[in-house]
Amino acid sequence: MTGLHRWVGLPVAAVLLVCGVVGVQLANGGGEYEPLRPADPCAARTVTSQAQGIDALTERLVLLGIDGAACRLHVSREAFTLELAQTDDPTDAQIDALRGGLKSAVMRMKADGTLPPASALVDESLDSTDLNDLVKRLIRALPDSSIDAALKTDDVLTRAVDDLDLRTVLANLDDQDALEQQIEVAVTGAVKASLEARIRDLV
Amino acid sequence: MRRAVAPLLIVTVALVLADSAVVTLALPDILVHLDASVGQVAWVLIAYNLVLGLAAVPAAMGFSRAQPRVFSAAGIAVFAGSSAVCAVADSIDVLIAARCFQAVGGALALIGCLELLVAAYGERRGVASWVTAGVVGTAFGPVVGGLLTQAISWQAIFVVQVPFAVLAVPAALAVRAVPVGVPDRHRPAVRANITLALMSAALTAALFLLVLLLVQGWGRSPATAAVTVSVVPLAAIAARPLARLLRPPPEVEVAVGCFLVAGGLVGLAIPPSASLAWTIAPQALVGLGLGLTVDQLTTRAMEMRLPRAHHAGWTIGARHLGVVIGLAILTPVFTADLRDAQVPAQQAITSLVLDAPLPPQDKIAVAEALGSELSAQAQQVPDLHRAFAKLDLDPAERPAAAQLERDLNAQVERAATRAFRDSFLIGAGLALLALVTLIPVGRRRPQ
Repeated sequence: MTGLHRWVGLPVAAVLLVCGVVGVQLANGGGEYEPLRPADPCAARTVTSQAQGIDALTERLVLLGIDGAACRLHVSREAFTLELAQTDDPTDAQIDALRGGLKSAVMRMKADGTLPPASALVDESLDSTDLNDLVKRLIRALPDSSIDAALKTDDVLTRAVDDLDLRTVLANLDDQDALEQQIEVAVTGAVKASLEARIRDLV
Repeated sequence: MRRAVAPLLIVTVALVLADSAVVTLALPDILVHLDASVGQVAWVLIAYNLVLGLAAVPAAMGFSRAQPRVFSAAGIAVFAGSSAVCAVADSIDVLIAARCFQAVGGALALIGCLELLVAAYGERRGVASWVTAGVVGTAFGPVVGGLLTQAISWQAIFVVQVPFAVLAVPAALAVRAVPVGVPDRHRPAVRANITLALMSAALTAALFLLVLLLVQGWGRSPATAAVTVSVVPLAAIAARPLARLLRPPPEVEVAVGCFLVAGGLVGLAIPPSASLAWTIAPQALVGLGLGLTVDQLTTRAMEMRLPRAHHAGWTIGARHLGVVIGLAILTPVFTADLRDAQVPAQQAITSLVLDAPLPPQDKIAVAEALGSELSAQAQQVPDLHRAFAKLDLDPAERPAAAQLERDLNAQVERAATRAFRDSFLIGAGLALLALVTLIPVGRRRPQ
């Protein structure tokens, strides 16, 4: 083995080995193996739900609402969700952003045609209310077109979001019964207010 | 007995140097068993290396005035006794104190064994066997420690050392070595020892951080981690034939070793996934680098320098203070990075839970279970399985929940891997700094 080979043989082998190993790691995504980055909350997102009916509507509304609220506050939806989960006393700014986000979500769902007509939700709504059976039967007997003409889903939801005490909703997230009762009261109130407004417009 | 004398002394040298990192894989068990904090448990590792590093040179100075075999036997006995105390320690303070005594005994044993091995084997073979035992002990320490912890308990690491050390006491007394009494003729090999210190710091990064990443970050068992990191000592053994094949000059061999360790640490910093396979090639680079540098540098620091024990003391001091420097630099970096990794990990977990194909109430249940587990397991890489085990889900939803658990664990692994990146890169920087110390510095010619 010549003197030159003794000086360069091992260094060349080492450079080839290191470049090979680091190159293979990088080519396979090394350096980018990091946790999922939060998406831009202001970018339009397609949300889906495994639930049906009102639960599905509520879930999509909440997911889009969180996006809208996070966009208003210039944080990611994940950061916003964690902030809400880690505090017992959300700030006024957070509550306002959440309300604004939910209302924007209603508008967006109306615009993209994913908001179901009121008639599609009536049966399920009536199942969970404590109205008189006769009244329930009467409402069920109404044609869908009459219900949809009298009640606009977006109007009811917007009124319900306005009426909801969001601080209490957030505090009740782990109490299913209390949550449902609170939402039912808000939705019932919103339905009444929407009907009254409709009648006033007709008169 | 006479035939067993030198092998027993060699094993003792390997044990003392293996103890530098032998408890690395046992630290999580020690933390739980002795109800210690992360900071306290790190001292089980730091205390031994710090005391060994600081005691080596004074021990070497004292050696010149003592009977070699008595000096060695006393050191080995202290090491054996302290190992026994480590095994029965019922508090972290007792364990750390016992580790300090173990290191003092270890320092005396290392210096003494060198002279006894030279007396038994002659100068060249005696020094070579001492150096090789040190490299093998350092490289295999974490592997053996991990396997013993998994198979038996962390105490077993110390228990198994006692019989070897006890047998080595009469072995040391059986060697006929005369007091050395050589005046101080040579100055310490400053450059070789600085390079050795920096390489020890870098190698600490490789072994210490890798086992932590495997056990804490990727949730592997200590035995799996031990088997995985055995690539380093195996590659270190393969380095000698490679060097013999290419026959590079010693300074080239050391420089290449430093470069290989740096390259291996860069590879460990950027794995494409949490698969153990991605650590194999980078570890092989680190092992080759270890095999090419540590024995060369140790030999260079001691070769033709008298008194031999003094220079052995300097190399032991450099190596173990290098380990302490490595731990001192890296521990705060990776603990801070692990803390900082919590936010992106929590956000990734939140994102996946929000978008999970589960009914809304199940999502809320998962979120609540995860929230309470993450709070309970603060300051450590979380085990998310406990949260999912608590859930009472509809059987139809269980496949989706199982997939969510897998996805969340993948995010935790990603966050943990990312948290170790900077520390591995700092380790690579230390290895490159070691390379810089090898650059010849020109001297001004007198006019």
